[in-house]
Amino acid sequence: MSAHEVKSETAGLSKSTRSFGVALALASVVNGLLVVAKESSPAVQAGMQKLTGHHWITHSTIILGLFFLVGWGLGRINGGQGIRLTPGKLLSILVSGVVLGGLIIIGFYLVGD
Amino acid sequence: MNEVILMAHVLFGVGCLLTTLWVLVDTLNASPKNLARIHRLSKVAAACMWVAFAIGGYWYVVFYKVDKAIILKGPWPFAHQFFMETKEHLVILLLLLVTYLPIAAAGNLVANRDARRVVLVVATLIIGLALTAEGDGAIIAMGVKMGLLAR
Repeated sequence: MSAHEVKSETAGLSKSTRSFGVALALASVVNGLLVVAKESSPAVQAGMQKLTGHHWITHSTIILGLFFLVGWGLGRINGGQGIRLTPGKLLSILVSGVVLGGLIIIGFYLVGD
Repeated sequence: MNEVILMAHVLFGVGCLLTTLWVLVDTLNASPKNLARIHRLSKVAAACMWVAFAIGGYWYVVFYKVDKAIILKGPWPFAHQFFMETKEHLVILLLLLVTYLPIAAAGNLVANRDARRVVLVVATLIIGLALTAEGDGAIIAMGVKMGLLAR
């Protein structure tokens, strides 16, 4: 892929849209995996409970923190230009992450719990 | 007071849903005339969701244990075991998406087809998840009602 193609592909979306889009996908999957971890391990659940007084508050804080931190971090890479990816690729990552994160939660409570 | 908190949670949740639907329709018809409105409404949707999340979270942490006990002793234990358990974690996903909406909608959606596509996809995901959350909430409320009727 030439430099011109990379420029035209990434020019369509802003740095924040790309960075926080990927962060959203990642946080969605981690959200699902954290559900499995805390529901499967009483120690994890107790630890999360102890941190803020309620496992759900800890859970929400971790996921929101991850979203903002990863989004901010991805926006700083490539010399401050942010993560490079095409609009189509961003949408694939975003939709896959959200759907996978949702399916992990639903699947776990449907069959795993 | 408990009921007022719960109704405010639903009110702001529906506010987020309707505002996002408005953003979706306006984005499908994006023009210089409605661009400022899209930017404004995407922020309103996020604000509604943050308020709904904070109120719902407060209610869940402080008051829900009473309802949970009623549901689990009643004929609809799945209202907690599946619907509440999934809802309390799917709304985090919803909050992420709605927080992302104003970020995705911040550019010139009239000139930028790619940005429009992202907003349309994100808004569609929000609407689907918000409707799921509303449905979950209805089943949870019905689980409490069934538990009380069975007493």
